[in-house]
Amino acid sequence: MNMINAFLRRPAAASVLSLIIVLAFYVLIGGVDLGRLAGAASWVNFAANLGIVALPVGLLMIAGEIDISIGAMIPAGSITTAILSGYYGLPIGVGMAGALALGVLVGLVNGLLAVRTTVPTLIITLGTLVGMQGVVLSAAVLLTGNASVALTSPDWAKFAFGHLIAGSYQVIIVWWLILTILFAFVVHYTRYGNWIFAMGGDKISARNAGIPTRGLTIVLFVLSASCAAFVGMCQAIQFNSAQVSGGMGYIFNTIVSIVVGGVLLTGGFGSVSGIFFGALTFAIVSQGIYFTNIDRNWSNLIIGVMLLIAVAMNEAFRRRALAYSPRKRKAA
Amino acid sequence: MTAGASISSNLGRLARRPEAGSLVGLIVIYIFFAILGGQVFLGAPGWSSWLNMAAEVGTIALPVGLLMIAGELDISVGSVLPASSLTVAILSGRWGLPIYIGIAGGLGVGLAVGLFNGLLVTRTRIPSLILTIGSMFGVMGLTLGFTIWIAGSTGVFIVPDPLTKTLLGSALGGMFQVGIFWWAGFVVVIYGLLHLSTWGNWIFALGGDKESARNAGIPTQKLTIQLYMLSGFAAAFVGVTQVITFGSAQVAAGSSFIFNSIMCVVIGGVILTGGAGSVIGIVLGTMTFAIVNQGIFFSGLDPNFGSIIIGALLLTAVLSNDTFRAMALSYVAKKK
Amino acid sequence: MKKTIKFVLAAALLASTATVALADGAKIFVVGGKADDPFWSIVKRGAEDAGKVVSAEGGKVVWLAPQNYDNLGVDAAELIRQAIDQKADAIVAPDWAPAAMDPAFQAVKAAGIPFIVYNAGGIQAADRLGAMNYVGAVDYLGGVAGGDYLAKAGHKSGVCVNSLPGAANIEDYCKGFGDGIKKAGGKSDVLPLPATAEGNVTAVAQAVRAYLLQHPDVDAIFATANLDAVGIVQGIAQAGKAGKAHLCGINFDQAILAQIAAGTQDCAIDQQGYQQGFYAVSILNGYVNYGLSIPTREILTGPGVVDNTNIKATMAGAKGGTR
Repeated sequence: MNMINAFLRRPAAASVLSLIIVLAFYVLIGGVDLGRLAGAASWVNFAANLGIVALPVGLLMIAGEIDISIGAMIPAGSITTAILSGYYGLPIGVGMAGALALGVLVGLVNGLLAVRTTVPTLIITLGTLVGMQGVVLSAAVLLTGNASVALTSPDWAKFAFGHLIAGSYQVIIVWWLILTILFAFVVHYTRYGNWIFAMGGDKISARNAGIPTRGLTIVLFVLSASCAAFVGMCQAIQFNSAQVSGGMGYIFNTIVSIVVGGVLLTGGFGSVSGIFFGALTFAIVSQGIYFTNIDRNWSNLIIGVMLLIAVAMNEAFRRRALAYSPRKRKAA
Repeated sequence: MTAGASISSNLGRLARRPEAGSLVGLIVIYIFFAILGGQVFLGAPGWSSWLNMAAEVGTIALPVGLLMIAGELDISVGSVLPASSLTVAILSGRWGLPIYIGIAGGLGVGLAVGLFNGLLVTRTRIPSLILTIGSMFGVMGLTLGFTIWIAGSTGVFIVPDPLTKTLLGSALGGMFQVGIFWWAGFVVVIYGLLHLSTWGNWIFALGGDKESARNAGIPTQKLTIQLYMLSGFAAAFVGVTQVITFGSAQVAAGSSFIFNSIMCVVIGGVILTGGAGSVIGIVLGTMTFAIVNQGIFFSGLDPNFGSIIIGALLLTAVLSNDTFRAMALSYVAKKK
Repeated sequence: MKKTIKFVLAAALLASTATVALADGAKIFVVGGKADDPFWSIVKRGAEDAGKVVSAEGGKVVWLAPQNYDNLGVDAAELIRQAIDQKADAIVAPDWAPAAMDPAFQAVKAAGIPFIVYNAGGIQAADRLGAMNYVGAVDYLGGVAGGDYLAKAGHKSGVCVNSLPGAANIEDYCKGFGDGIKKAGGKSDVLPLPATAEGNVTAVAQAVRAYLLQHPDVDAIFATANLDAVGIVQGIAQAGKAGKAHLCGINFDQAILAQIAAGTQDCAIDQQGYQQGFYAVSILNGYVNYGLSIPTREILTGPGVVDNTNIKATMAGAKGGTR
């Protein structure tokens, strides 16, 4: 009993429970064959692509900020790789470096604007989102004349970033696991993680306590833009092509995953494992419906309801967690 | 004090109003596109072109702006718009009910979603951003599911009667859509509410500090619910005018209004963290946004660059607003 | 609390291990466009109607579609692989983005699953990938038909309105339109709309109106989406060019047919999406269950041109959601 209570107090608890509820719903109502679902790679691939972006954006949200420009950074990463190495024929290393460099650049812009001005990061990243949407479209159309660009990558690049394990699992899953472990270590076992939580709690107090909030904010923005570009880059290598897009879908999916994962929008609360499970849960919700007999027309309704239930559960659990105090041993 | 000094101090006071930045921005943007667009842009076709766009996003931006002043967000407006259009089209187009029932149905959908949002925001501690994303998905799903179920396709057709078309869907001189006048009407009403009534003070107080407002006796919960119902109503109203104007409603409509309305509000000087802003500012911001969106097509610029320009404009506008706000807050009247 | 958790877990486990009676019929997976797309909802309808026969024979039709068109080739490739993972008996999929999707098709072939390419790619894709057949129109040719129609009617200065830059099918339409009108001696341009115009019919109308005012010699317009066509008619009227600028568009619904009947739109390109879904599923069902096949390679469902000469017959279908 104590163990379960202890588990329920962790930020990730609600997301794991959401996962179980979603699975139960799909199995009982949707007629899903769990074995088949478990063996399918599609939702794991989806989760990995989503999860890599959700990690740094989730950290930003724990720190009290938000980054919606990732929506345009994913196609920006793939288009950059494809144009440099596909259209212009430069070595794949240049294409990859270009995509990541673009991520760093946009992240710096976001971060600098965030720390130098009092403009809320929702608005800053909205501006960079719209701007990058235009950059992606213009670059593709004006440089290549096409809205999609083809790319062939050498074997080593394909092996590292773009091949399928056992014929169905994208290798980006491995990168997702590595990044999750890395982030979990930094956030939960080093002081940087404490700093992030402190910033989310109260930025001014954190600053006064000597935490380099500005530098940390900029680093987080650079991480989120670069991770998004990285995902785009892997997709370009995996699928041999890149497509222009506005990327609006990624934004809501990412935010939903993070919030389902137990991260508080107001900051200061959350965990990397929560974000991990949040991405998994969202992937199952969004892809799992294809395994059911439920009409696809209702899929958005299911996502909406699941989000509200998951967030309500998060709230309830968080209050329990914050109100918890160990029972004092009765005096002998 | 000499006359000159009093004029300059008045000017100084004027320049430090939050709307000043938006007005300057609007004028600069307009001149920029006027130079590029030439005669056509300066004439009635140009004016009506961006005013038509401004009317729609402006109607939604008003209550979204009020919500932002009160410290909340509403993402669901993007899905309420098609829900309302389709309700009108199905009720009055497909099922042949009288048009006022259709319109009432459409507006009712907006009010219902607003009520839902408002109740959940006030009764639970779910942040409004997340809550309204959830209701957005929910409404999108319901809209698609019901439309296909009832109509068999994603779009529904309606032929409005002449009176309704004139009131809600016609264009003066073939150019200026009626929506512009409805927007103007909304602006007057919302201005009165926000700046001339206690209700408005309550909204500012709500955005400043919710707890204090509550303790001061302001009915914050009721107020929040009213604001959400207002934004749902506005989105539904734009949905109604669109379906009456164009005679057709589609499920996949309205998504761009979410961020567009936020952009208009922010360009207009409303602080996202709440507590400050004005209706004039929102109107100026809406006009600026519409001029940029439309001006691109009048200029000789490659439309592919459109989004870059919009993004750059947004950032410039908020940065300049930020500067103006800093100036305003630091302004100290010169002592005599 | 503990009890409820235990119960839920047990129920889930039980439900998952309950074996479902093996169906005799064919499990056919169909990959298509997103659910709120006017054209694809008609394709889905065709697939589902053919699915009635499939279900009657103990099988089922499963519709797979991406959430949006942000990453069409990638998402579709993943859906195809998902169909393989779910042990499909047959697969129907469009070849929107060959570079991204061909490996997925090759995996289908390697798994020995019979498949049909439909809607995009043409018979070349079917041959290249070893598909049973190709069913459908080709988006590019749909655009060509539109450009050809307008140019032949004497309107040679054209523009293609693209409200979703990047999506492969829309890009094909515009490319086809441009080529079609050039071949008949005209010229064409593309008007891409920014993301801030997405889903906003008024924005489309005003953009087209502005474009027409700045480019007064344009007299042929091509719409690539249902809602765009409705908006463009208003845009033309507000620009004062009613009767001078002529519109043709992809697909149609009741609103568009009304426009054609009223003379505000010249033509609509009919891809007969219903037939694409219907025939692709039916052919595969016959093959999986009984070994039947259709020897004709390339079953074209379009492009047909609907204008006011043949509009009456199509109206009933549009009302019923099958056209």
